[in-house]
Amino acid sequence: MLGQGFVSAAAIAASVLFILSLGGLSNQEKAKRAVWYGIVGMAVAVFFTAFGPGIGGYWWLIPMMIIGAGIGTYMAGKVEMTEMPQLVAALHSFVGLAAVFVAWSADLERRRVLAARAADGVMQEFSAFAALVATKAPDELTFLQIEVVLGIFIGAVTFTGSVIAFGKLAGKVDGKPRQLPGGHLLNAGAAVLSLVLAVLYLNGAGFWTLILLAALAFFIGYHLIMGIGGADMPVVVSMLNSYSGWAAAAIGFTLGNDLLIVTGALVGSSGAILSYIMCKAMNRNFVNVILGGFGGATGPAAEIEGEQVAIDAGGVASALNDADSVVIVPGYGMAVAQAQTAVSDLVRKLRAAGKTVRFGIHPVAGRLPGHMNVLLAEAKVPYDIVLEMDEINDDFASTDVVIVIGSNDIVNPAAEEDPNSPIAGMPVLKVWEAKQVFICKRGQGTGYSGIENPLFFKENSRMFYGDARDSLNTLLPLVD
Amino acid sequence: MRIGAPKETSRGEARVALTPESAQQIQKLGHECLIETGAGLAAGFNDDTYRDAGVTVVDSAEALFEAAEVVIKVREPSEAEAARLREGQTLIAFFWPAQNEALLEACRAQGATVIAMDMVPRISRAQKMDALSSMANIAGYRAVIEAGNNFGRFFTGQVTAAGKVPPAKVLVIGAGVAGLAAIGTATSLGAVVRAFDVRPEVSEQIESMGAEFLFLDFENSQDGSESGGYASPSSPEFREKQLECFREQAPDVDIVITTALIPGRPAPKLWLEDMVAAMKPGSVIVDLAAEKGGNCDLTQPDERIVSDNGVIVVGYTDFPSRMATQSSLLYATNIRHMLTDLTPEKDGVINHNMDDDVIRGATVTHQGDVTFPPPPPKVKAIAAAKPKKKEKEPTPEEKKATEAAAFKAQTKRQVGILAIGGALMLLLGQVAPASFMQHFIVFVLACFIGFQVIWKVSHSLHTPLMAVTNAISGIIILGAILQIGSGSAVVSVLAAISVLIATINIVGGFLVTRRMLAMFQKS
Repeated sequence: MLGQGFVSAAAIAASVLFILSLGGLSNQEKAKRAVWYGIVGMAVAVFFTAFGPGIGGYWWLIPMMIIGAGIGTYMAGKVEMTEMPQLVAALHSFVGLAAVFVAWSADLERRRVLAARAADGVMQEFSAFAALVATKAPDELTFLQIEVVLGIFIGAVTFTGSVIAFGKLAGKVDGKPRQLPGGHLLNAGAAVLSLVLAVLYLNGAGFWTLILLAALAFFIGYHLIMGIGGADMPVVVSMLNSYSGWAAAAIGFTLGNDLLIVTGALVGSSGAILSYIMCKAMNRNFVNVILGGFGGATGPAAEIEGEQVAIDAGGVASALNDADSVVIVPGYGMAVAQAQTAVSDLVRKLRAAGKTVRFGIHPVAGRLPGHMNVLLAEAKVPYDIVLEMDEINDDFASTDVVIVIGSNDIVNPAAEEDPNSPIAGMPVLKVWEAKQVFICKRGQGTGYSGIENPLFFKENSRMFYGDARDSLNTLLPLVD
Repeated sequence: MRIGAPKETSRGEARVALTPESAQQIQKLGHECLIETGAGLAAGFNDDTYRDAGVTVVDSAEALFEAAEVVIKVREPSEAEAARLREGQTLIAFFWPAQNEALLEACRAQGATVIAMDMVPRISRAQKMDALSSMANIAGYRAVIEAGNNFGRFFTGQVTAAGKVPPAKVLVIGAGVAGLAAIGTATSLGAVVRAFDVRPEVSEQIESMGAEFLFLDFENSQDGSESGGYASPSSPEFREKQLECFREQAPDVDIVITTALIPGRPAPKLWLEDMVAAMKPGSVIVDLAAEKGGNCDLTQPDERIVSDNGVIVVGYTDFPSRMATQSSLLYATNIRHMLTDLTPEKDGVINHNMDDDVIRGATVTHQGDVTFPPPPPKVKAIAAAKPKKKEKEPTPEEKKATEAAAFKAQTKRQVGILAIGGALMLLLGQVAPASFMQHFIVFVLACFIGFQVIWKVSHSLHTPLMAVTNAISGIIILGAILQIGSGSAVVSVLAAISVLIATINIVGGFLVTRRMLAMFQKS
């Protein structure tokens, strides 16, 4: 058995390692080292806590960890990079559920201790967490109750929210926003009811209040995320990421464990910042995204003149052969069509011919922050030619050919030109400034926001219809 | 049909409307070609080269007019030539119908169809027969060559063992085709070129040719698209501003090339006597508008004069003719394209389609009627330039002021947040137990560190960031570990499940992050 001093030292070491791990993600090379900091930090934290004072139940603990590690390894090895968003969402749900269980347990322990106190008035030997609870003063116990309520509520919302997000991202649940009749009033009602239950619980009501509270929070998580469309999932996933952190922090308070608090706070702020970045990239505020739907159009959208002109692979190829500089703008459509390897082959060929080829990535392209980067990295596209929106937006004017693959709203000029457009003011990639734009697209439909894209009607735009992967594969042999 | 090109009769005209090259192309349309003997001599094509190209050489103009069904010429016909036209015959030439009303009437009276090459509308489709542009291009080039011929110095700047040579400074006024050609020629000779035009939308073209656009800060600048791509007269205020700008330039520039023309009007006077007086001796002015009276006060058409202060003013009107071979080649090609449009079936039969915008626009007499002026073309010459919003550069003071205001607002906001946060902490401290406050300090500090660290994460690594935070949030396992040894069975079971799923989270999260990061490769 290790002493309490060891455990505290380990907690400090783990906190520092976690911070270094997140800080190391500032660039690709450092990141490879940073992930090891995280792994070591976690190993230290788990090992020293598990073998710290007053811990028992190893017969449970060790087999569970072995099974869990097995499942985790299997999942991590099997997952496709296009499925990253759903994996992340699924993992969030685990944290949420664990938070609910831990908080429930904490209350059960509290009740056990109180019951023992009331029964004989003398302190009996408690093990594990119960021993800690036994030392708490009455006002500390009240705070513990508040923390339990927070842990359960946040954890439960995270759980069902993540499950639904997972379903939507994996295509198992319809991606369209859907709500029960009553809409957000239902959510508000559930939230008020939860508050009432929390007050009842604090005033000494039974354990059933916590179960009901969890049930209500489960409902809120489910219903809230059901009402959000598939393309807003980057924000939702980052938000759930944030929530899972806050849930961990709340549990940390309950258990009086600083390491949990620190880690939870790190994760929580990380998710919050990611959500903020995503919302900013869509020029929408957080509440608007979470409550769902586009709104606030102030007038009729500007009329679009011109027509969409289609082009075949031969035309695209000859333009590419003549071009010196090419920019590729990928979107969710590339992930759907699994076209990243075809894109990578095209890039390799063009680069071998001495052309400058770069990628322009909009912050909300795909279904997860940074989704496109990971897909392109998987297809072995070097990361130094994959640029952010701000880095590349000024270069479009001097670009010969832009290929837009499966993205729509993020290249919509209406955001800049039409003040009445629902996406007015959203920062977009200014592909239309290039000499020629080819849009690789399945059909004439609109994007997620459901609005017409004037880009497709511009004089320098040509529509290259078809499945992205098939189109690129027919294009490849024609490029020299 | 027989297409015939007579020898040009106007004095000094060296161009010819048919070259051996264009004759071969015209024959492919099913036509026969005739040429008056000696017509191409001045342009460098003798009768034998024509014969080799399958052209019939005719002895006299009379015979040619007699034989040909379509007469192609460079200049408008003389009275004698007009009298030779007959009914059903077609004449293609620069005609200037607005200036030559009597001639127009004469041709109409003869019953001939006249196609004026100067009336070809300025639309994309008709560019290949836009002879005015071809000639203007040559004139612009030649103007620089003439200027260089009269200018006593290099165009390009050099540093030689014998001393430093400054580059010549060239000012081009009017950036039409001729102006742009002049800019291109002068810059490629190495001169420093500035250019001015009343149509601000051409600034891009000017800059693309390598010249500096003299920008005139003036509201209601002209929109060239309204007048078919040509300039229109400017307001007196604008003119004043413009002259002021030129006056400033006059002492500085070595060569001035003026090309300002307004269709159907005398050339605007832009380079006044006092500007000439302000120029350095030995400077050169080439006035491409001399034929229409000249842009410069001192210009004498067809003359080269020297002002009192030694400034040379060149007012030749025959720049294209001075490069007769080149002009003839281009003009003949323009004519050939016109004939191609007139012979859509390539069967040697001319189909004068008056519904065609280009043919209709260029035809000035047809079947005994004067068809000039033509109705406006259906297609606009150039797209209307969208008004570009010019953002005013803020002055340094304004910039400073806005920065200071932003700083102030930020300070105010931060202080406000800190004050509210502080007050909340105080309130919390009143009710919360000491142990809670200790943990709370840790929590707040961790949030701060989190915010600082996460902002630095590169955008491209957001997915790995999510995966790694996901793994780290599996730290909740600690809570379960702390509870798993509890005496209560329910608690133990709940904790055991928590350990299981949290471990999946930790292991899965870290492994998938590693997998992802390993994929990021530098090129």
